[in-house]
Amino acid sequence: MGLPNASEDLSSEMEVDAFRRLFPLRYFERHLAESIRPDARSLSRARNTTISMGAVASADGSALAKIGSTTMLAAIKMEVMTPSLESPDEGCVSIDFHMPPICSPLVRPGRPAEAAPVVAKQLSDTISSSGMINLKELSLVGGKAAWMVYLDIYCLDADGALFDAALLSAVAAFSNLQIPTVSLDDGKIVMLPEEQKEENSEKEPVNKEKRKLTLGGIPFSLTCILHKNYILADPTSEEESIMETLVTVVLDSSNQLVSLYKPGGAVLAYTSAVQDCIALTRQRVKELHQILEEAISGMEID
Amino acid sequence: MAAKPSTTTTAKATYSPIDPTRKTRPPIFSGSDVDWLRPDSRGFHQCRPAFFRTGAVNSASGSAYAEFGNTKVIVSVFGPRESKKAMMYSNIGRLNCNVSYTTFATPIRGQGSDHKDFSSMLHKALEGAIILETFPKTTVDVFALVLESGGSIRFLVKQVDELDTLWFAVGDLPVVISCASVALADAGIMMYDLVASVSVSCLGKNLLIDPVLEEESYQDGSLMIACMPSRYEVTQLTVTGEWSTPHFNEAMQLCLDASAKLGKIMRSCLKEAASDEQE
Amino acid sequence: MVGLSEGEQEFIKGGIAQDLRSDGRKRYTYRPIYVETGVIPQANGSARVRMGSTDVIASVKAELGRPSAMQPDKGKVAIFVDCSPTAEPTFEGRGGEELSAELSSALQHCLLGGKSGAGAGIDLSSLVVVEGKVCWDLYIDGLVISSDGNLLDALGAAIKAALSNTGIPSVHVAAEAASDEQPEVDISDEEFLQFDTSGVPVITTLTKVGKHYIVDATLEEESQMSSAVSISINRQGHICGMIKRGGVGLDPSVILDMISVANFVSRQLMDKLDSEIAAADADEDES
Repeated sequence: MGLPNASEDLSSEMEVDAFRRLFPLRYFERHLAESIRPDARSLSRARNTTISMGAVASADGSALAKIGSTTMLAAIKMEVMTPSLESPDEGCVSIDFHMPPICSPLVRPGRPAEAAPVVAKQLSDTISSSGMINLKELSLVGGKAAWMVYLDIYCLDADGALFDAALLSAVAAFSNLQIPTVSLDDGKIVMLPEEQKEENSEKEPVNKEKRKLTLGGIPFSLTCILHKNYILADPTSEEESIMETLVTVVLDSSNQLVSLYKPGGAVLAYTSAVQDCIALTRQRVKELHQILEEAISGMEID
Repeated sequence: MAAKPSTTTTAKATYSPIDPTRKTRPPIFSGSDVDWLRPDSRGFHQCRPAFFRTGAVNSASGSAYAEFGNTKVIVSVFGPRESKKAMMYSNIGRLNCNVSYTTFATPIRGQGSDHKDFSSMLHKALEGAIILETFPKTTVDVFALVLESGGSIRFLVKQVDELDTLWFAVGDLPVVISCASVALADAGIMMYDLVASVSVSCLGKNLLIDPVLEEESYQDGSLMIACMPSRYEVTQLTVTGEWSTPHFNEAMQLCLDASAKLGKIMRSCLKEAASDEQE
Repeated sequence: MVGLSEGEQEFIKGGIAQDLRSDGRKRYTYRPIYVETGVIPQANGSARVRMGSTDVIASVKAELGRPSAMQPDKGKVAIFVDCSPTAEPTFEGRGGEELSAELSSALQHCLLGGKSGAGAGIDLSSLVVVEGKVCWDLYIDGLVISSDGNLLDALGAAIKAALSNTGIPSVHVAAEAASDEQPEVDISDEEFLQFDTSGVPVITTLTKVGKHYIVDATLEEESQMSSAVSISINRQGHICGMIKRGGVGLDPSVILDMISVANFVSRQLMDKLDSEIAAADADEDES
């Protein structure tokens, strides 16, 4: 036998860092056999997760989400549009996911990252199918004007589990969203001046009651790596590059399955493995829900 | 054929609601007189509070985050790493710079595009400070993302759907340059000195240091300097508008003094990061 | 790309240090300048400027447009430079793009002044026809045909010459239309307004080689530069724009010294250019 045995023999005399670079898979498998990961996590543990609300002052709603060192900045800007004929009393949500060159050594200017369109598609599918946002709430004047919600998510640091972090930042940005008060002026929607908000002057705001969106079932997700019989929750980019079979489960707050992705990979998953992933996600949803609640209430105290 | 200024011929399908009672001209500028306040009530010769932190992006060789008032910038440095295949052999290192904006950096949602002009200015401001001989045949990439552009929120025009030029605050560039030099230091790239950059706007007879977008829109001239404070050398300098020589001297001195102070802030940020690491 | 042997490099540097450059010029002497105007009949104004083997063309086209919402009382000017592959094989395809972008942005810096319009070589408010509704858009195109250094100064001179050659058709505005409609305009074929170019500055690039700086550097001399500064100065001796063109850092006192040198040199250049332009215009009228 060639390499694997050679690595076995060398491992006793080689420095740890050199071994990690030369035989990454061996290095990981050795850890996994001890039920621990190189960053001292147990297999099923997700990394430390934080959310900070209102990170972008120029946006109507924004949030910064961090899972380990993976960082996502989501910001929402509201613009006015004429609704389409098919759905005259509905607004629209447009979601963009960007991976600027700062986020990873793999992305170069002018050449968009391969992962970006995949995550973008997953995000808009998940958010639209979860029913989190009621598009009817975005209507301003039936058939005439409705909100166009631009959600832009920037990956500031890419270290694995991009979709999980992106979805978390998107959800947080939506719960941070403050819809501007507007009124109808000459067929056009205009911003209500600050001083007129209190005293009820000649212009009546058209959306006085609707400053916040009521979010329906909030989707949360967890990505796991399947490798042999191991299931690793919330992988880093190093783990993703070595072991390639990923399963992403999206559940809403009442534990209903929103979506499930297993885009190929070398490992064929047994249904039991998928069920384990779902169970892990169920736990993670509880955690994330609490983190989000804390972030929201932290915002209100300020 | 000249590239036509971006007059958006295709009418935008959506628009931002704007407060119609807002005056197009902010009250800051009334002729030549001295008795007006800056929009953020700073003194004329007072910079915005500056904040730097290194290590914003873990996957980069070095990185820094800078915040000057509303301007927020992240710079990542990658490398020295292999140059692009098409590049010819070079016995000194290459520097590659790119500056881009987020779609929400400006008050009106933009395209989030690359800023070619800033990229080339950033390159020129840094190339004189980096010891390129220390990494022959390889490239150092300096990438900047402007998260938020300077200028207070929702200062805008009456008819936005006609807005044909995106107004980036030129005042963002000094922040990008200073932040990039902190990121380069964080990445351990050899430099002669840090590069600190400051701009001034000239309105009437007054010089305003570190202007925000509103002030820039009414300025008569502007001067931006990037310098190496300890060596007292200017690496980049751009001037627009009409300046008499004495007036120019005054503005340059003002910038140099401010850069020296900014350099101290940058240095203390790096020292702090280094001492944290040792502990 | 200039490939020079070490001996040649020393020769150029040594010559500059002794105030005798390889083509016999002194440090602050220009190569002979030739100006030809009206070279492109379809444009509203055009000029060709040659300095040694550097050869550039500038053209001005005027079109009616709408003023921007930010500045309803001003016209718009766009400056764009293209580097032709005839000047250098590396300009083929996208090769010249970086240089073109750099030159375009430097020209905008040097000629268009501050946002309020102060120090602008081109008076934007004179381009307005109806405030907030109709204005002239000037498209200024520069083309580099042959490159032997000092492109920015040559382009600046060519634009100045092209503008002095520019006639803008006079416009008659039809009776006041409703306030939110575009007024109808009638462009005259015969009457032209001469463009006022007295305020257009000239650009002087000082290239630092060793301890000294030189004007109008050739390509070979530019390859030996440690840094360069382009300064645009108007008739009144005021700085209208300045941009450092890369290279190593400069001491602030050196920059101030450069400004005073540029002030002195640009006056000569301006006189020379004005007389060349006048002669070229006279030539054109005769033919």
